[in-house]
Amino acid sequence: MDLLLQLLATGLVVGSIYALCAVGWGLIYGTTLHFHVAHGAVFSLAAYYAWAGQQLLGLPLIVAVVLAILAAALSGLLIDLLLYQQLERRGAIRTTVFISSLGLLIVVENVLAMVFTPDPLRMDIGVLHNAVQLGPVFLTWLHVLAVALAIAGYLALMAFLKRSRAGQAIRAVSSSPEMARTVGIDLGRVHLLTYALGSAIAAPAGIIVAMDVGAEPYRGTTFVLLASVGVIMGGIGSIPGAMVGGVFLGLLENLGVWQIPSEWQSAISFGVFLVFIVVRPRGFFGRRIQSAEI
Amino acid sequence: MTAYLAHYLVMVGIYSILALSLNLLVGYVGIFSLAHAAIYGVGAYASALVALHLGLGFWGGLVVAAVAGACAAALVAIPSLRVAGDYYIVASFGLQVVLLTVFMNWTDVTNGHAGLPGIPRPRVFGWVVDTPFEYVALALALAALTYAICHRLTHSAFGRVLQAIRDDEIAAAAMGKNVVLNKIVIATISSALGALAGSLYAHYITYINPSSFALHESIFIMSLVILGGSDRLAGPLVGAFILLAVPEALKFLAIPDTVAAPMRQVLYGALLIIFMFVRPEGILGRARPKALEPPPVTSHAIG
Amino acid sequence: MLKRLLALTVLAAVAGVASATAQSGPIKIGAILPLTGSGASYGVWMKGGAEIATEEINAAGGIAGRKLEVIFEDHAADASKAVNAMRRLVEVEKVPFTMTSYSAPTLAIQPIGAQNKVVMMNGGGQSDNLANKPYLYNNIPVVSNEVGVIAEWLAKEKGRKAAVLIVANDEAGRNAAKSFREKFAAAGGKVLAEEQIALDGTDFRAQLAKLKARGGDLLFISSYGRNVAIVADQARELGITIPMAATSWVQVPEVLKSKGAEGMLTTRLPFNPDSPFANKFKQKYNVDAGFFAVQYYSATKIFAKAAETAMKKNNGRLDGEGVKDAIETVRAFDTPSGKLVFQPNHAAVMDIEVGVLKNGKVEVEKVIKANP
Repeated sequence: MDLLLQLLATGLVVGSIYALCAVGWGLIYGTTLHFHVAHGAVFSLAAYYAWAGQQLLGLPLIVAVVLAILAAALSGLLIDLLLYQQLERRGAIRTTVFISSLGLLIVVENVLAMVFTPDPLRMDIGVLHNAVQLGPVFLTWLHVLAVALAIAGYLALMAFLKRSRAGQAIRAVSSSPEMARTVGIDLGRVHLLTYALGSAIAAPAGIIVAMDVGAEPYRGTTFVLLASVGVIMGGIGSIPGAMVGGVFLGLLENLGVWQIPSEWQSAISFGVFLVFIVVRPRGFFGRRIQSAEI
Repeated sequence: MTAYLAHYLVMVGIYSILALSLNLLVGYVGIFSLAHAAIYGVGAYASALVALHLGLGFWGGLVVAAVAGACAAALVAIPSLRVAGDYYIVASFGLQVVLLTVFMNWTDVTNGHAGLPGIPRPRVFGWVVDTPFEYVALALALAALTYAICHRLTHSAFGRVLQAIRDDEIAAAAMGKNVVLNKIVIATISSALGALAGSLYAHYITYINPSSFALHESIFIMSLVILGGSDRLAGPLVGAFILLAVPEALKFLAIPDTVAAPMRQVLYGALLIIFMFVRPEGILGRARPKALEPPPVTSHAIG
Repeated sequence: MLKRLLALTVLAAVAGVASATAQSGPIKIGAILPLTGSGASYGVWMKGGAEIATEEINAAGGIAGRKLEVIFEDHAADASKAVNAMRRLVEVEKVPFTMTSYSAPTLAIQPIGAQNKVVMMNGGGQSDNLANKPYLYNNIPVVSNEVGVIAEWLAKEKGRKAAVLIVANDEAGRNAAKSFREKFAAAGGKVLAEEQIALDGTDFRAQLAKLKARGGDLLFISSYGRNVAIVADQARELGITIPMAATSWVQVPEVLKSKGAEGMLTTRLPFNPDSPFANKFKQKYNVDAGFFAVQYYSATKIFAKAAETAMKKNNGRLDGEGVKDAIETVRAFDTPSGKLVFQPNHAAVMDIEVGVLKNGKVEVEKVIKANP
């Protein structure tokens, strides 16, 4: 029983991190329809920004983290502005955007590996590493923070999308780009905002993982692909779906090892995913996408 | 020097098979797969295992590899291709992860990360292929065979149905073609051929372990196809010849391997981006007429 | 006929040139080491040890008048990288001898070495499967010797009865765990559970949580490098308070410095931090030398001695077969850690120390002599 509670808690922590990443990716995918794998590059970059801020520039941890989130948002925005929008201006199809995104992911991760070695770079997080005991469950303060950040990030994003004019513009574009254009919404600017927001919300995920076990160059690839699994499970186009999908994946991976040997952990989610797309291809909350995509 | 050249040509043979087979999916039906390296691994493990434990010869190993590769791919193709292309990217990535986990953790069979050493060199019609140049001949012969098979496939009635599906899926369905079944069949054939390359690799290096079949390898094979030009049969061949020469060239620059390996990847990634700007159809590809682009997709409300 | 004669002459000339270059010029040997990745700290020592030995050999006039040159290759703990490096060394550089390290990479290259008659000297890998392999010599004891010592010490003198194991999912980790199960049971202990982890992983909490739920009074860590420090830290974080134990593999800075590893029970192979070699290493690299630095210093010196013997016997010709025969006939070599004798199984035996890790150092409690 104690083990089950511990796995449940760890699953929630990991799930929160996946959820942040999935919400960011899902927002971008739902709005722009770009299969933005370079989201993984933004995830990795956020980790290195935070590491560099603290270890190279000597900034206090909280300042380094905030700056890293802003820098990640800017990175996401620049990817759209300088890469995807330029390609689309030349009449690129979705496939072309996907391949350029893949190319960028490879470039960024390997440049990080060349400059900083493939080994994890540890950050100094002081008391956040201390253990918190809740009955039989042991976590660190950082883990508690991860869950809190996921909830806060999600609520803030939902409020922004529902209440602000810019948020409503994003929703308009995602539901019908043609309609949005006819009512005078600038698609390019909405896309830029979406990229900045989506990157900013995924950045804390990368930073938390870096604070926990170190910044690593190739980790983003795994996370972005897991995010896409989370988004499909939750339902494409649904932010609550992405959130639930991410948390679900984290729980699945951790509760799964209760009975399954732990070395099979990474295979569990995908096994379930394959079953899932047969049984419920539209996900928990979303619609089924039509054929003839990518 | 000659040893380098022989090694390069063997690798060109192996990667040509991988790229040609992946292109059946990418170029002829427009489906992206991130699992081709894992399929390559399935072929390598299957034929290594039957050679080590059952003493099965090279040809028998090839057949076992092809069957194993086809089965592994069918496992994912059947559920995911019923839905849509984006799902296949994610599902094939899942297959890549699951298969790699199997190579890594099914230790009784695969010996895990420690891998399988001592795989015998192939015996072909009573002749043991042992020297590097003999292996070049074998690898290039198999690559030529794969090319012939792909040529035959794509120029058959089946090939024309596939192209119809790529260009306009809805129209193909309206013409009474079973879109899903055709996609599943081609995904299976593509994987069977890709698995052959694994068999060739295992008997050439005489040692395999999971790290040769990781995700970055899948991405690399995809780069060969895209940069070579995916709508021509010879495109992937050109991609293999050129891109495999890059690491060999870097070796002469005396860069330590720890920097050279990621540097190579940076170069491949940068080429992908540059090509999307200047020549999205690849080196050999023909520019695609605008009319044949996939239709715009339905949108999804955010909220 | 004339054509054929001409061809033969050309062939002979080419062969002559080839063997002439092989008999003068520097002697090239290989070294396949973990220069990057989770075991890079071992690599710093191994490479440094081999470099210092090479400098000393060349300063003293080389081997039979020829300079020694070591070609370093990185396997990053990945056996397929080791195989590629070995192929390059054998087919392109045509070395008669290479140093190697780690269990899985060494097992992977061994068939290539044996087939091409290239001697391999392993100073770091310890899997029992490395013994009794043609052309492969280990100037280090196999792990079952060490595990036998610590398992008995833990069961009989430290009162440990029930162990849980966390095992690196590779040749070395699994082989040591297998030994531990046998030896701990033989000493009266019981193994309750085992969990496998990836050597390059960074999060082992799920595995540790499962082990914690099984109870027990000892956590045996069958892993090495940075990995062990992460396991130890995360185990403490999860509230695992039972003692931890490991083998001499934990003698790397990451583990010695880690907070979680404090109090760990461990074996150690003999290493004198105040020896002239250790001082020289510290001066040259500004890093404290460790056990594995001496190992590759010794391996290089063993090669020099064997090569000299072989060349004397074969009129100056040097090849892998000659080096192998020389190692078999000389058998006993002088090293900074004392006399090293290759056993009939191609491995060495050494004194084994057991003790407790305190403030970054092992406080030795007991020494088990190799030749009592």
